[in-house]
Amino acid sequence: MYGSVSTHDIPAQAPTGLENEDPQLLAEFEARIARGEKIEPDDYMPALYRKQLIRMIEQHAHSEIIGSLPEGTWITRAPGFRRKMAQMAKVQDEVGHAQLLYSAAETLGKTREEMITDLINGKSKYSNVFNYPTPTWADSNVISWLIDAGAIVNQMANAKGSYGPYCRALERICAEESFHLKYGHDAVVHMATGTPTQRRMMQEALNRWWPPIMTFFGPADKMSQHTEILMRWKVKMASNDDCRQQFLDMYVPKILEIGLTIPDPKLRKNEETGKWEYTEPDWDELRRVINGDGPCNKERLAVRRAAEENGAWVRRALQAKQQAAKHVRPLA
Amino acid sequence: MLTSLDPRITRLHLPDAPPSIEPKEAFDQFETYEAFHQKKEGTAYTYVGPVHAPTADVAFLFAKEQYSRRFPCTGMWVAPTRAISLTRYVGDTESVYDFVTEQLPAQTGAEPDESVQQAEAYARGEEDYAIFHLKKRGKAHVHVGMVRAASPDEALLQAKAVFGEQRPVVNVWVVRWADVLTSDDEDRDIWSTTPEKKYRDAIAYKVQDRIDRFKQEQQ
Repeated sequence: MYGSVSTHDIPAQAPTGLENEDPQLLAEFEARIARGEKIEPDDYMPALYRKQLIRMIEQHAHSEIIGSLPEGTWITRAPGFRRKMAQMAKVQDEVGHAQLLYSAAETLGKTREEMITDLINGKSKYSNVFNYPTPTWADSNVISWLIDAGAIVNQMANAKGSYGPYCRALERICAEESFHLKYGHDAVVHMATGTPTQRRMMQEALNRWWPPIMTFFGPADKMSQHTEILMRWKVKMASNDDCRQQFLDMYVPKILEIGLTIPDPKLRKNEETGKWEYTEPDWDELRRVINGDGPCNKERLAVRRAAEENGAWVRRALQAKQQAAKHVRPLA
Repeated sequence: MLTSLDPRITRLHLPDAPPSIEPKEAFDQFETYEAFHQKKEGTAYTYVGPVHAPTADVAFLFAKEQYSRRFPCTGMWVAPTRAISLTRYVGDTESVYDFVTEQLPAQTGAEPDESVQQAEAYARGEEDYAIFHLKKRGKAHVHVGMVRAASPDEALLQAKAVFGEQRPVVNVWVVRWADVLTSDDEDRDIWSTTPEKKYRDAIAYKVQDRIDRFKQEQQ
């Protein structure tokens, strides 16, 4: 799940550094992408391409790991044995996705050790929605269905990108996500069509999650302009607003058909433009929470850190058996 | 002290604002192995992705968990990343063998039969190497066969002699067979998935009836 990586694009005015690239190599690189060929790890690539992909894939990996926490916390409290098993299988999938993504980022030259250090020290980001809590089982269901749905919109787009290892990882991830989406939908439908108490629980959870969901795809396009070159290089495959529109197209009808309401009085599809209109999300809050001041930022990192520290002795014991070897990045 | 909605997390007594951690040491996350899976009996082994592990045995377990848990699999190979030699990558319509210009020493006289050749080669210190081809960028390397050689470089020349006609070949991986840990045919039971895990499949979730019933009730 969880491919919301657009919130931390390089700022519009950042220097691209392209003047330092070999013009002939750069032209060949761009021609290869324009032909529809993928870039593989040993190919020449501009420093900006490498940097942006590392940032994007690393954030995606961290989002899988951190994103498994708000759902993982509900495994033991999920109603019934079957839902416990399914919730556990989903969380296991998400952690597996992180493994795939860390490896894809490693092919670009940043080690998994460096990425984990940067996550715990707050230097690298992850999808901002996971800085919000899941006070009830219904909140966990909203994540399983709608956050995964948003992530699939993102990931299906990114899977058509230009970097081979990321595409390979996403292909596998998207296949597993299809279960998450159905599982999440099933859980939400079950509650929303259930007893009055269940219905109320689900509506309240949706009300809590709607504002974070609306910021999931990142700031409005009018606020981030540095996407032209990343689009040409097929690093970024769809604009934030396009992803948001696609998500609303696909999921608003599904939410309404089960009798839930969406807590945005301005939300409607403009039949003339074919675009959804909605209350402008609170971008200041998004910025504030990304920068550490959200309801769960501290908890998410503290839990990840505790897991790291508690596992350190196991890793040390196993490491002792490892042959002294030079670090080699994964091949593909 | 950190307080959480989840009392189990509160009970961990985690500090509210811990100091930064030291950068992790090299190999804290172990070295990487590359895994290859066989999706169906009789089909070629195909690259499926890397795993981090301290030993080949653990790498095999991780690869099995990571790559065969959700999809059909009938066999798995793992090899340390550092044991794999690779060529450069060429374009999607080219063959990388065209850029391998060195020649194998010419054969003199009549070729002895296969078993004699094999015995002589092993006596000379040659070993088996597995050869993998990438046919298209973004896809996965596929095992095309074995060659015998005294080094990875020589194995690539042998591979060109045997598989050089195939195209496109975007990239070649050469792995000494002794460096590959393979699943055993006798252990094939490990690949059968328990039928009681249907809850992991999208197809197990059918909600449309419930939605339709709900809509009817609302009218």
